[in-house]
Amino acid sequence: MRNRFELTLLITILLVLGIGTTIYKVKVLGFSFNPDKRETVWTVESRINFIADGGPIKIAMNLPDNSDGLIVTESLRQAPGYTVTRRVSEDGAKQIVWSRKDTPQGKQHIYYRANIFRRKSAEDFRKSEIPKALPKLSQPLRDTYLEAAENLIKKARNPENDTLKTGIAIINELNSPEKNPAAALLLEMPRDNGGRLGLACDLLTKAKIHSRIVKGLVLSRNNRNKKLSSYIEIFADKKWQLINPKTAEVENPDAFLLWQKNNEALLEIEGGSKARVRFSSLATKILANQAAIKGGLHKHSWLVDFSIYSLPISSQNAFKLLLLIPFGALIVVILRNLVGIQTAGTFMPILIALSFLQTTLVVGLILFLIVVCVGLILRALLSHLNLLLVPRISAILVFVITIYLAISVIGFKMGSEVGLNVTFFPMIIISWSIERMCVLWEEEGGKDVLIQGSGSLFTASVIYVLMQNNFIGNMTYAFPELLLVLLAIILMIGTYSGYRLSELRRFEPMGRE
Amino acid sequence: MLITSPKRLRRRGIVGMNLRNVVYIGQNNQRKFYPRVDDKLQTKILAEKARIAVPRLLGVARYQSHTKKLREFLAQEDAFVIKPSKGSGGKGILVITGRDGENYLKPSGSQVDDRGIRRHVSDILSGLFSLGGKPDVAMIEELVNFSEVFDGFSFEGVPDIRVIVYKGYPVMAMTRLSTKESDGKANLHQGAVGVGIDIAKGHALNAVQHGRPLEVHPDTGRNLKELKVPDWPLFLELAAKAYEMTELGYLGADIVLDKEKGPLILELNARPGLAIQVANNFGLESRVIAVEKELEKGSRAPAPAERVAFSMQNFAL
Repeated sequence: MRNRFELTLLITILLVLGIGTTIYKVKVLGFSFNPDKRETVWTVESRINFIADGGPIKIAMNLPDNSDGLIVTESLRQAPGYTVTRRVSEDGAKQIVWSRKDTPQGKQHIYYRANIFRRKSAEDFRKSEIPKALPKLSQPLRDTYLEAAENLIKKARNPENDTLKTGIAIINELNSPEKNPAAALLLEMPRDNGGRLGLACDLLTKAKIHSRIVKGLVLSRNNRNKKLSSYIEIFADKKWQLINPKTAEVENPDAFLLWQKNNEALLEIEGGSKARVRFSSLATKILANQAAIKGGLHKHSWLVDFSIYSLPISSQNAFKLLLLIPFGALIVVILRNLVGIQTAGTFMPILIALSFLQTTLVVGLILFLIVVCVGLILRALLSHLNLLLVPRISAILVFVITIYLAISVIGFKMGSEVGLNVTFFPMIIISWSIERMCVLWEEEGGKDVLIQGSGSLFTASVIYVLMQNNFIGNMTYAFPELLLVLLAIILMIGTYSGYRLSELRRFEPMGRE
Repeated sequence: MLITSPKRLRRRGIVGMNLRNVVYIGQNNQRKFYPRVDDKLQTKILAEKARIAVPRLLGVARYQSHTKKLREFLAQEDAFVIKPSKGSGGKGILVITGRDGENYLKPSGSQVDDRGIRRHVSDILSGLFSLGGKPDVAMIEELVNFSEVFDGFSFEGVPDIRVIVYKGYPVMAMTRLSTKESDGKANLHQGAVGVGIDIAKGHALNAVQHGRPLEVHPDTGRNLKELKVPDWPLFLELAAKAYEMTELGYLGADIVLDKEKGPLILELNARPGLAIQVANNFGLESRVIAVEKELEKGSRAPAPAERVAFSMQNFAL
């Protein structure tokens, strides 16, 4: 009973770990069960132009936030001669800083390129930033202006309107001064900073609506040498809603790469002047899992960092194949212990299936049958010589290689390269199989050889079909932790004491009343 | 009907391969005790120590140098068997039934000379017949003088009685009769006839070939219902004693009947098969449960004779 408990506990732990990690990777790291799922990646390039005074120079640029459900990777910085550092500015914005001791005087430019993809919908993080108290107006409103503002707000504040609609109505009023003299008056008001958007924000604040100005790139279209666009965000329905100030419409935040919040400076320069940034962006699609791996590596998520994805590509490819083997083992376990199919050698079918991956199924089956049949005939010749085991196997090995050679050469001379595939079969395993089948033939008769031989080939074919399946390949490679689940299933089958499918046939006469 | 339902099999108490492996063998047979049955020499030595009747061991050839002394050693023996200690599937067993001058006689009547015997022993020693080709030893034991009670029930050779012993209790028995189809082999799925034997009285219950019931032997034409094992309680007691000797909770004992010495254990098996259920047309499970219940009752370990009495009383059909 203690055993039983231990096993149940072990299986539970394995299942929880395996499934938990998989869910984490899907939900948080963005891995996908669908091997063909693609994700959009934006390559954003910013070009900074400035005129250097000559001498030491320091340029700091705000970076888009990683935490915004966006992942910024592969930052490529083309700025020869500059040292690059990163820092976090006083108001919490991430910055990249280029500095150089002796800049030649005159026009200079620096490139910064990043690959950006969205990890989760922008909605989620927009919920998490809850505003505090309403800020002060950027510019106080007096006399007629105050009156005009109150008028405008009153007009916008329709009892049917909720916060968002009221906000939009205010922006709309400002957008059409020809219809509303109050708006026209307010727009004519001299402003120190913020312009029309600043005014809109002030009015929203006055209407007790949280708002802020954000700057960023609209990623839904390809940009070339664009400035950052300014948008207004309104906090309504418990999240920040992105509003295009020109159309006063709510925009999809997923297509907006937020670069600046509030009024952070985008660029700071010391030792130069006339600095300006222009952005270009290009959307491409890459495989979702590829994106997840890149993102994971960039974020130093240990699940990705300490996994096969950190290996060189050639080793990764080897593991892609190796990770399929436990799956093959599971199939063998199922077919042997649940179905009751007899195979020659426990794991021989897996190795044969791996060979089939190289030769393709039909060709593989034909070649396998030829090799084994010819091998069995030759092995039968050895029988009455009463050789010892090791020399016997060695002799069979020589036969097998000779058969390989013969098939390849004869096939090739006849103009077919199909025969060359025979070399993919594992020689040692084939030799052992031939030996075992031959012994089986002598001890139990040809019928058993046929049963076990066809059982092995059937099992190998099933494993081949599944191994070759793109979905399963993706599952084992993208989620190696599913090995734990596999192990749990194997352990469960290991203690299964019910009937095998084949026994329902074997004991059929006993089922009759 | 091609296939039956698991429910029906369970109702009849049929034990499947997985139940046998996971529970019966897995929980009752400790791996360290396997050599006691897999190595026939060890079985023999243990059996002789425990005073369990087996064909007498004449000698053991352990090294190649022993082959030179064989002639001298065998001078006194007329009939004997040479077999590998760890052979599989009955391979490498040489039966000598008598002499013709210098030469030895095989049951078929053909002759083997001294060199032939030496080569055979040498082959055994170098592992020609053992599993995995491991070096082995050759056992020389006396030839069983088979009783004639089973004449005509088997196509070739003399049948043995297989008794399944669960925790020391004989739970089921059968005999396997070779046929022309099975090529003289006693393997049921090759076409040998399986005959279930009543634990209570030792007579034939039910005979099957390829899982189908039959009345008479397909080659000899003998009525299989007439098969009755003499001295049946002795068979059961012998099988029951094998439990103490091997400490294996799930065990198969193959027993033959010698004309003078009575039943002898020929071989033991730590993984006896399940075909015995088909031959008996009865499932093993209910009997195993009965044994477990009986064991729960008593505080002290019952003696072999008590266990046999229990089995004979409870496992009648």
